[in-house]
Amino acid sequence: MLNDKLKFSRIYLIAVFIVLYAPIVYLMVYSFNSGGTMTGFEGFTLDHYKEVMQDTRLLIIVLNTFVIALLSAAISTIIGVFGAIAIHFMRSKSKQTLLTLNNVLIVSPDVIIGASFLILFTIVGVKLGFVSVLLSHIAFSIPIVVIMVLPKLQEMNDSLIDAARDLGASTWHVIARVIMPFIKSGIFAGFFMALTYSLDDFAVTFFVTGNGYSTLAVEIYSRARQGVSLSINALSTLIFLFTILLVIGYYFINQRNNRLEDKGAKQ
Amino acid sequence: MKQISRMFILVFVVCFALIYLVNYMNRSEGYSGNNTLTIYNWGDYIDPELIERFESETGIKVIYQTFDSNEAMMTKIKQGGTTFDISIPSEYALDKMKAEGLLLPIDHNQLPNLKNIDPNFLDLSFDPNNEYSIPYFWGTVGVVYNPELVGDLTFESWDDLWNEQLDNKVFLLDGAREVIGMGLNSLGYSLNDTNEEHLQEALKKLSQLTPNVKAIVGDEIKMLMANEEAAAALVWSGDAREIMDENEKLDYIVPSEGSNLWFDNIVIPSTARNIEGAHQFINFMLDPEVAAQNTDYVGYSTPNDAALELLDEEISSDERFYPDEELTSRLEVYENLGPRMLSHYNELFLEFKMHRK
Repeated sequence: MLNDKLKFSRIYLIAVFIVLYAPIVYLMVYSFNSGGTMTGFEGFTLDHYKEVMQDTRLLIIVLNTFVIALLSAAISTIIGVFGAIAIHFMRSKSKQTLLTLNNVLIVSPDVIIGASFLILFTIVGVKLGFVSVLLSHIAFSIPIVVIMVLPKLQEMNDSLIDAARDLGASTWHVIARVIMPFIKSGIFAGFFMALTYSLDDFAVTFFVTGNGYSTLAVEIYSRARQGVSLSINALSTLIFLFTILLVIGYYFINQRNNRLEDKGAKQ
Repeated sequence: MKQISRMFILVFVVCFALIYLVNYMNRSEGYSGNNTLTIYNWGDYIDPELIERFESETGIKVIYQTFDSNEAMMTKIKQGGTTFDISIPSEYALDKMKAEGLLLPIDHNQLPNLKNIDPNFLDLSFDPNNEYSIPYFWGTVGVVYNPELVGDLTFESWDDLWNEQLDNKVFLLDGAREVIGMGLNSLGYSLNDTNEEHLQEALKKLSQLTPNVKAIVGDEIKMLMANEEAAAALVWSGDAREIMDENEKLDYIVPSEGSNLWFDNIVIPSTARNIEGAHQFINFMLDPEVAAQNTDYVGYSTPNDAALELLDEEISSDERFYPDEELTSRLEVYENLGPRMLSHYNELFLEFKMHRK
């Protein structure tokens, strides 16, 4: 009986993963297609990869996308973590209000956020381009970081802080030595969520780009109007492999750290 | 804490390295000088080689940016904060942009190559004297069909779409003026007809089409037709061309009662900084050889007479995309019917969509 259940859940899991990964595999296979379209595989070629490597404009856009994602994720994590700490230690009434406001930002549609940023930037006179995209990405990432960090803070026992205080820790010490290590996993989760949100955001970015500055999502979307060219497949394959490498690398570093920590604990 | 700060320091270092790399690449491409021209175009709507050629011929560096709909492009230009020197709206968007003062007049004296444009495509109702726009590509509205699935129908007449054989086998594109226009055309009326009786008649005729209509769809019509999900579809010729590139079995035709003629046009938005460069660019695109190469790449119909002569006989004599004069004389450009009539068209279209099945 138990075995049956296990079997079923395995099959279910495999089916889910096939559904998730099949489109990506399909896209990757066709990036090697010598025929120009996604209908019918004609032969193996690396031409599309060559095309990507020669398209300087596209490469600049890819780099721009990563710069925006990393910078906005880092900055919004810093702001969001301190925001979450501030919210956590507030009186419960204003805390609720602030949390609701935070959640409103998460659920409101990207199109509306994008349009309001466009209006704001043009009123204030910020030139559309790198700065406007960065600012808006930071802005929509902060609520996500806050929501990722808050549960960790709630898990923390407040007497830890009292104990640190009794032992003579300053406010900065309490934050750096007690709170931060405790909510570390929440901070990383927030950072990576912000990173992915920024990487694939189309709607907000679309409104606030300008003057030749563009990100990958916007570029691919406007190219897709004429049918997705296979060089986009090639580029997507490269980026997918790159992310897989990053994830694997992160996994191994984590493993090593854990082992080191275990050793340290034993000694 | 150590681990966190280490990671953030690493992130910032990587960022600054990337920024340096981007700047280096921009410099090596020459994007940093003041002599730049910003083009705002549909995705993949110009041959990239031509941009390079323009750069090396004039020394102007081109910054190329893309949009995916007329509405989005207009919003961007209207809000300001950008410095687009060139844009390429469709004719109905051009009308609106003109009305809202988003365009700069074009100085014809700076465009010696304007003489290459077929006079039939100049001085049209949406821009008299071409004060603000120069035609870039044009096309028609017609029927793309799969000969294997439609039996002996040839779609020489709009009425073929009403044939019983096509039960649940027709796609329509989701545009009020296109669909109502088809109804008016099939009855022999003008596309720009505002006579209420004629409109009601067209609506009645369209409602008889409903058993044949499988779906009313947007851009995905291209993919659906290429995958043979339906036998025939009402589409723009530009889409038809792409569908036929994907699936060679299909064919395109403009019914003989007449149809719509559409234009994409080069304009200079009011946000332009490099107006002289913009004129140089327009003149460059009007050059016969350049226009021919671009037509080859994009695949739409060119209004450039001199370029047409340079094109392959196979393309320029293709009557599906360059209809003969007799049919061309029956093609009509959409006139601006004013907001009230337009919303009436939309209401009629909505009514048609709601009464389906």
